[in-house]
Amino acid sequence: MTDLATPARRKGGFKRVLERYPFLPALLILVVLLALNGLYQPRSVSLVGITGLIKTYLALMLLAVAQTYVVYAADIDLSVGAIVSLVNVAVVTLMQHWGGEALPVFGAIALGLCVGVACGIVNGLVVAALRLQAIVATFATSIFFTGLALYIMPVAGTPAPTLFWRTYGGRMLDIPFVFYVVVVLAVLLYALSRTRLTTQLLAVGDDAQAAYQSGLPVTLIRIKGYAMCGVFAALAALCITGDTASGDPLVGGKMTLFSVAAVVLGGSALSGGVGTVAGAVIGALIIGLINSLVYFVGTPSEWQNLVQGLAILLALMAGILVGRRARA
Amino acid sequence: MAKLKLSGVRKAYGATVALSRGDLEIEAGEVHVLIGANGSGKSTLCKIVAGVVKPDAGEVLLDGQPMAVSGPQAARALGIGIFYQELSLAAHRTVAENICLPDMPVRGVFVDQSALAARAARYAALFADVTGDDFDADGPVDALRADQRQLVEIMKTLASEAPVLIFDEPTSALDRAQVERFFQILRGLRQEGRAIVFISHRMDEIFEIGDRVTVIRDGETVGTRRIAETNPAEVVEMMVGARSALAAEPVAEAAPFRGETLLGVDGLSGPGFRDISLRVAKGEVLGLGGLHGQGQSALLKALFGVLATSGEATLDGVALSNATPRQAIRSGLAYVSGDRGRDGVIHGRPIIENVTPIHFLLKGLQIARPAPLREKALAALKTLNTRFAGLSLPINSLSGGNQQKVVIARWLIDRPRVLLLDDPTKGIDLSAKADLFVLIRKLASEGMGIVLYSSEDAELLANSDRILVFNGGRVTRELRGEERTRFNLTQAAYEAAR
Repeated sequence: MTDLATPARRKGGFKRVLERYPFLPALLILVVLLALNGLYQPRSVSLVGITGLIKTYLALMLLAVAQTYVVYAADIDLSVGAIVSLVNVAVVTLMQHWGGEALPVFGAIALGLCVGVACGIVNGLVVAALRLQAIVATFATSIFFTGLALYIMPVAGTPAPTLFWRTYGGRMLDIPFVFYVVVVLAVLLYALSRTRLTTQLLAVGDDAQAAYQSGLPVTLIRIKGYAMCGVFAALAALCITGDTASGDPLVGGKMTLFSVAAVVLGGSALSGGVGTVAGAVIGALIIGLINSLVYFVGTPSEWQNLVQGLAILLALMAGILVGRRARA
Repeated sequence: MAKLKLSGVRKAYGATVALSRGDLEIEAGEVHVLIGANGSGKSTLCKIVAGVVKPDAGEVLLDGQPMAVSGPQAARALGIGIFYQELSLAAHRTVAENICLPDMPVRGVFVDQSALAARAARYAALFADVTGDDFDADGPVDALRADQRQLVEIMKTLASEAPVLIFDEPTSALDRAQVERFFQILRGLRQEGRAIVFISHRMDEIFEIGDRVTVIRDGETVGTRRIAETNPAEVVEMMVGARSALAAEPVAEAAPFRGETLLGVDGLSGPGFRDISLRVAKGEVLGLGGLHGQGQSALLKALFGVLATSGEATLDGVALSNATPRQAIRSGLAYVSGDRGRDGVIHGRPIIENVTPIHFLLKGLQIARPAPLREKALAALKTLNTRFAGLSLPINSLSGGNQQKVVIARWLIDRPRVLLLDDPTKGIDLSAKADLFVLIRKLASEGMGIVLYSSEDAELLANSDRILVFNGGRVTRELRGEERTRFNLTQAAYEAAR
């Protein structure tokens, strides 16, 4: 009977590696893009250049991580950008009310994280408990969250306290602050990848029915995934606030689909069950490097969007081709 | 006191009754076999115990206590471990993660990787030597063969260490050595006093491992026997019901059997079947029987060019090289699937568009001229007594039976030489079935060759001139004339695959 089953193919070493680290093609693209950036603008690969890149795209990296946790379970969150906006205006408004001292700033940050978690739980309840379609349901909550943000701060421009953005953009012990963030983030993501929740989310994404029949609390797991997404969206909002030094009720909206693109570029499957947060981070960096490359090459401003779009398409294709070649 | 006792358990999905009266008593320290035909309610019964399906009525007692569970998690906590027939594995997770998925060993919030590996290794070791060389506990499940996946599901079930273990067809893809090892493990568990439910379609396995057997027929448990006090013939009789078991179906009134081979198949192999040889004569209805999924459907799909094959097929002595359904249609084959929603109906489009696509293909039509098309469509639909209010109404406005008639009618405008029917009456009402079989007989009497696979034995017996019984992807028995009894058909289907 066994010869009726799919014949087992002996896998090559590279295929094994790729199965474990699906972001490798993305990493290759990232290196190529870095080299191209260096070619057209040598200063872009200097310490200052890299610092600037990370400062600008740390928010997108975090948002892509946020998106990854729901994509793991084959869900999607189209409200991540709106959560960023909401947390951004909430934090800036609170800091303005309480003053720009250290303690109030920390208080505002903590509350901002709570807002993110709350938004995530709302999404989770709507999608997993009420069983509404994730795409449409989170699109709806995104409008709702944006509405809240506009209520809190109708017009963009309220400045963030100096202490906050000086710290984010500054240096500690001669090392840019964002590098500390990156290190903490790397440790955190590594730790999270070894939690039971990550495995459970991926198992749910693989086959929700099988996970349910295995005795996993599927609904609760999906809600937790959305809550994680909320936390990282809030962290992204803090980075945006540090980068732009002001509140803007619409700042995150356009980032939503970039976060989805970053997740896919990083080798995760929107159908769930396959993916890594490292891939999402790399995906976000690819998008960042494409944007700067388009600028460094000297594309006229009216052509920039077009070239950017084409470049992202190219990166997607390259990732798929490399992956398929290795898997075949 | 029985470890697990079900009485009067019932479950219906809408109008379909999956289980009408389930009574079952499992003792601790026994292997209790559950046997019954496809769709008799075995899996439903198991899933009720596992908490996946909520019964409409009846009582489940565990250790004499009523067992009311909210879901699989609760059932597992009460000590029910289950092997799912369709498996419950996460394809991209590793073997080790899958084995431990229901309750992962943790240290704080982190997965305890070494405990996980150790636990997985303990259960994988039970099947050492029989898993195959390429079995790797750290590799993803989707890299495994079907038999290896089934072993992983077994390991996962064993890892529950539950006092009640349910195995719903755990051996269907396993080879002999793997089955032997599994039985060895089951005997050990029986010794420990576990209560084990075992479902299999292989009669020899049942008599090898079982202590008692309960037969389930058409959603009702019809009786329990000690294995030591019964024999395969009695079990088969219980499965088919003593009444109709031994009577052969009357041979269809002298079909104008011309004896000319129309469709010839020689040594055809493909995904799910191998080395199939058969002949279909002009005017003959050839039945394909056996348990569900033994290669019947795959063979029909392969002949129609949906699945790739190796081997030879000829139509009227001319070699068929059907790489695609288009080629198959052009060479004179027709295929009707029971899964009309997926394979047949063009959803949301008018009835006329659902009747004419084959006509368009065969005649190379580019422009639809309504008047002649309508006439042809109406004539085709009329032969099947299709009931509809107008040709321009969407097909979804029809009942299931009439939708299937429309799908069949598309083959009747330009008659094919051979009609392949892949469980064509699935989910359609009795009168539509009757109309369909009248038509099939009529087409055969006009010289068409017909290959009929049906998952309903009664239907197959009543409408085929000859039946080939499939088992494990091969034809294991041919039933002609007086041999076409329910008893023989069931017995052949449940024999060990040779």
